[in-house]
Amino acid sequence: MTLDRRTLLELAGPIALVVIAGLLCLTVSRTIEIYFLLAIISVAIVTSISVFVGNSGVLSFGQISFVAVGAFSSGVLTIPVESKAGVLPALFPLLRDHTLGNVPSLALAAAVGAVLALVLGLPLMRLSGLAAGIATFAVLMITHNLLREWEKIGPGATTLALIPETTGWLQATVGTVLVIVVAFVYRHSRPGRMLCASREDAAAAAAAGINVHRQRLFAFTLSGALGGLAGGLYVHMLGSITADQVFLDLTFLTLAMLVVGGASSLWGAVIGALLVSGLSSFLSESESGIDLGFRFHLPEGSRLVILGAVMAAVLILRPSGISGGREFSLDGAGRLVGRLVGLHTSKGGSR
Amino acid sequence: MIKSKRGALSALLAALVTVAAVAAGSASAAGKPIVIGWAFDSKGNMSPFDGPALAAANVRIKEINGKGGVNGRPLSITTCDTQNNDPAKAKSCAASLLGKGADIIFTTCDVDYATPVVQESINAGKLTIAPCIGTDQMGPKRFGAKGKLAFSFGNVAQDEGSAMAEYAYARGWKTAATATNTLLAYFKIVVQAFEARFTQLGGKVVDRESYATGANNVQNAVSRINAAKAAVYVTVTSFGELPAFVTGIRSLGNNTPILNSWAGDGTYWVPKSGVSNYYAVTYASAFGDDPNPAVNALAKAVKAGTGGFVTGAAAIDGVVSAIKRAGGSTDGAKLAAVMEKFNKVPTISGLVTFSPALHSVSGRQYRVIRIEGTTEKVVGSVVAKTVPKVG
Repeated sequence: MTLDRRTLLELAGPIALVVIAGLLCLTVSRTIEIYFLLAIISVAIVTSISVFVGNSGVLSFGQISFVAVGAFSSGVLTIPVESKAGVLPALFPLLRDHTLGNVPSLALAAAVGAVLALVLGLPLMRLSGLAAGIATFAVLMITHNLLREWEKIGPGATTLALIPETTGWLQATVGTVLVIVVAFVYRHSRPGRMLCASREDAAAAAAAGINVHRQRLFAFTLSGALGGLAGGLYVHMLGSITADQVFLDLTFLTLAMLVVGGASSLWGAVIGALLVSGLSSFLSESESGIDLGFRFHLPEGSRLVILGAVMAAVLILRPSGISGGREFSLDGAGRLVGRLVGLHTSKGGSR
Repeated sequence: MIKSKRGALSALLAALVTVAAVAAGSASAAGKPIVIGWAFDSKGNMSPFDGPALAAANVRIKEINGKGGVNGRPLSITTCDTQNNDPAKAKSCAASLLGKGADIIFTTCDVDYATPVVQESINAGKLTIAPCIGTDQMGPKRFGAKGKLAFSFGNVAQDEGSAMAEYAYARGWKTAATATNTLLAYFKIVVQAFEARFTQLGGKVVDRESYATGANNVQNAVSRINAAKAAVYVTVTSFGELPAFVTGIRSLGNNTPILNSWAGDGTYWVPKSGVSNYYAVTYASAFGDDPNPAVNALAKAVKAGTGGFVTGAAAIDGVVSAIKRAGGSTDGAKLAAVMEKFNKVPTISGLVTFSPALHSVSGRQYRVIRIEGTTEKVVGSVVAKTVPKVG
């Protein structure tokens, strides 16, 4: 991995956006802060997905499973012991009688996500194409049903409450920046490049001596760890969670963020998450009516219709996503600004 | 003459004092409003319960403000739609209402859905009220020490399940088969309480089934429970599973009585072809035949669809009593301390008693309604004599 100026800029762009979003939390009302925090944590989730999906080219519907187990393990283990007896009486004694602090619980969330991904990845990473998509979807279903029904590991179908709300702007920003840095370092590492090679042509990569199964398994496990950490950040922002919150809706929303931003670049994952999350929050508030100098009130249900239309439009007009599959660069930013103000430059960006 | 002048002066002073007092009173009556921030579900799963409760609260507030308000301060409601209780939106709603200066927060009628709002509100130190959460978990049991600020004017689920069992047994239904929707704590606890009390009375639970909203398995439960020979089928559910369960059983040619809780009140879910032999134990009649005329008048005013509407007005009655007893304070901790001492405080839905451990209502006189075709009628009432310890 060569840390030249251009490479560092590729990392600086996504981090700068997340830090700006984090700092903006300090200037807005609590209502808007919640939406900013959601957007920042969405970046962490989408980046964790991109580590596997973006680099391997294998579509996975199961990545939110790791967010879910991270969220529930971190949540269950940070609820005060004295409260668990009343709220979660059926828990395994190990979970019921112990409480962790904030940072250890986030580390545990990442570890649980990684272990689950490793175990599941051993058989699953031999699959690709449609079979991989269906198998990872099955993983999502199994995880969801276990979390929803098994009251020895969580609240079952009811809400897990009383989780300390430790994810403010600082924790959300630091945690998400950590996820971005790990994803970036992996992408530019030897294993990351080998996986990218297998994405472009799996047969050629294998012929060149790359063990595709091993590289996919490593990325899947790393993605699981980062997803678990993102789940920990998420649950400590909301303060409560249900199994339904980390299931189909979140799966499709985060995959849409990835595709809209551009699945094959880190910059795409970040801007896709921020833009779609921001648009979703704005439309959600608009359904309740907001003051934009005039009363702006959208009919109920508009959010999903408009989000769907925007996503379809982006995919039709720019199939490789808003980023075009490129990483952040000053040239690219200049070109984008130039486009916005009607100027054109001839320089290309970096891939 | 001097005496007369002194008398006139005294009279003038008295008049001035009187005018000043009245003016002060008027100023107080037009004082700063007590703002209730109400996070509710306008069109989602909980809308059949939240909407009527909010409408009834608005009617009650209009009446109270017409009589001078609370200690001279008018009540006002500002609302936020939680959009089918989306957790992030609900949390944002609570923050928004608090940002608009809400003194007290009201939330949706289920403790699981209400959790994001409740936590945001109690973290801000505000009294947090649910008009009709039906479990004993709206309080310290679910929300720990800060749960001291959380109360519900809904029933304790154990009390409701026990009342259902006593009604069933008194009707001569000595065997029951139960089907639990495992989605919500309320659903589960009511069924558990029914089973415990029914068995205590000498009844026999011959079959236990379960299903869950969103799991697409209610028809499996229907098929299995259809095979059970029982005098009554008991389920506690609402949402799409309610018509699916009831019409599913009837479509198999099985006309065994079905008994539901308040969750299954109202006719909004009944298909045009109607249902038969269906009962629910609820707060009040929404259809003009409640034993309490005041309830009927309120039901008419709000065009109620389910009996839970009455809890919206009852919650306002309770909050008004608490503010008066706290000397006009709207401080969350002070109001909560007063409410924990509520002992048979009168409201439109009956007498309300709370305790430090129990922040929901028990001992309510329930109405039993029956739906035949598409018409709901009150067919009895029941009070739970014994409440089993379940949940």
